[in-house]
Amino acid sequence: MSGLAGLAALRRGPSLRVLPLATVLGVATLVAAGARSPVRLEPELSWSAPSWAHPLGCGEGGVDLLALVAHASLRAVLLAVCVALVGFVIGCPLGAAAAVARGRLERAVARACDLVQAFPTFLLALVVLSAVRSPSRLDLGFVFALTAWAPFARLALAQTRVLRDQAFVEAARAIGVTPARVVVRHLVPNLLGIVAVQLGAAAAAVVVSEAALSFVGFGARDGVSLGVVLDQGVSAMLRAPHVLLVGAAAVFVTSVSLMAAGRAFDPTFARKARRN
Amino acid sequence: MDRRGRGPAPLGGVHADPRSSGGGLAKSKRVAGAVLGRLAEAALVVLALATLVFLALRLLPGDPAALVLGDQSSEEERAVLRGKLHLDEPMWMQYARFVRGLVTLDLGESVRRPGASAAARVLDAVGPTASLASLAVLLGAVIGIAAAVLGAGPWLGERRHWVDRIATAIAATPLLAFAPVLTFALAARLRVVPLPGDPEAGAAGLVFASGLLALPLAAHVARVSRAALDDVARAQFLGVARAKGGSHARVLWLHALPASIGPIITVVGTQLGALLGGAVVLERLFERRGLGTLILEAYASRDLPVLEAAVVFSGALFVGAQQVAAAIHAAVDPRVRR
Repeated sequence: MSGLAGLAALRRGPSLRVLPLATVLGVATLVAAGARSPVRLEPELSWSAPSWAHPLGCGEGGVDLLALVAHASLRAVLLAVCVALVGFVIGCPLGAAAAVARGRLERAVARACDLVQAFPTFLLALVVLSAVRSPSRLDLGFVFALTAWAPFARLALAQTRVLRDQAFVEAARAIGVTPARVVVRHLVPNLLGIVAVQLGAAAAAVVVSEAALSFVGFGARDGVSLGVVLDQGVSAMLRAPHVLLVGAAAVFVTSVSLMAAGRAFDPTFARKARRN
Repeated sequence: MDRRGRGPAPLGGVHADPRSSGGGLAKSKRVAGAVLGRLAEAALVVLALATLVFLALRLLPGDPAALVLGDQSSEEERAVLRGKLHLDEPMWMQYARFVRGLVTLDLGESVRRPGASAAARVLDAVGPTASLASLAVLLGAVIGIAAAVLGAGPWLGERRHWVDRIATAIAATPLLAFAPVLTFALAARLRVVPLPGDPEAGAAGLVFASGLLALPLAAHVARVSRAALDDVARAQFLGVARAKGGSHARVLWLHALPASIGPIITVVGTQLGALLGGAVVLERLFERRGLGTLILEAYASRDLPVLEAAVVFSGALFVGAQQVAAAIHAAVDPRVRR
């Protein structure tokens, strides 16, 4: 009963009201991305304020900020979703398997998750990126995926601890189902609803990290990133404050939209689980 | 209902923890064992990170010497540099040299600034970063706990839910989004704090930067402390303290807070990594000297020895701080000692 109440509260919650807004923004982004180029420079328009022709104004060298923000957030979201899915696919079975195995393996995985989750991803990224001359988006994705599995594994572990002693798992084991099959067929489907929320949070974290990396100068070599907008904004804080505000708002909206999208997963999965 | 919490024991002051009344020798042995365990784990993590740094620079495709000197460099120049960085030796010898260098704090000479050892440059940069991060931890913990106590007490009436909402909103906002905006508003518009890059920023600059860094930490601490205070809110020892005539403030600060300090320390520990990442961003934003700036500079100029030393040292700093958090947790809360 309390589960139902929780679901109802979630459906009314503020996060889901943000979702349509996020969708609209996403569509607008797509349209803008198709129509403008983020690398076309018009030097005479450098740092010009918002106008009808350039709704968000122009940045360094006269780059159209709307085009830059649209392309940058699209690419960031794509990267983030891929990384979150990789983390999900690795972490979820790993956590479930560790909880089923119990004992030393369970403790080791839990400890590893704690460490990796608390570890400064930034440092790890620097280490790996220092070996490549100018990182591509694939390199960045690889770096983020190195740590992305940990929160998923942690959640799956905690949830499987609850599930592993329930009757249906015991029944499956009693009729001779192998442990691996128990994890894949019986445990992982029951984890999806809870772990799915983490998808949004993980994707949001990747968007912010990607922007932070390119803000400090480690970004992808194409230079189309929200961090680049912020970097330009900080250097021209006094001359053209709109660049800074546009960059900050773009980072905020992108990360909050992804979080809200992850929240939206929850009820659908929970409903499906109840029907089965 | 958790009766094992600290605070006045409910029944006539009988001590609940039998282990703390055990023999002194056994206790000191246990403490020594715990300290050794922590040290071993910390050393293992640092070694793993250092090995990763070592391998990343040597096993990933691309010649490090070419990375340092650029594509136009001649083969002789690269050979000289390889000899200087010991890259021409077999892998296991390089690794042995590297590990010995870690222990003796001698990781070679800076490629870009001949004469300056990598370790010296790192130690030089630690001070500013350490003061930024520790002031941020202090501010974050104090603001977060104060906000949680304010939200748990009766003083704000219905408005106390605003504490939770504000904390949630701040925790969901990335530092990267609000730090530049706040800097713009406070430094460029209102002129109450020094502008980024101001060489005479001094204490005001430090306090402002660490205040920015402390905000997300304070939000996380506030949320976790609120939950922890709620957990102990109905515990019997709080009722006893109230019945003895303690004020709300006294009961919250002296009785409820010590019993719920564990999760608060844990959340500070888990946020340390994010704090370090945030420190790099803020050093770049304010053009402050520090470990982050050093790492960025070493990366941009491909100063491999300095980069190795700085990354390993930051990792060690992080692991050390985390172990200190765990040790404090064990020291103030007898329930987590094993």
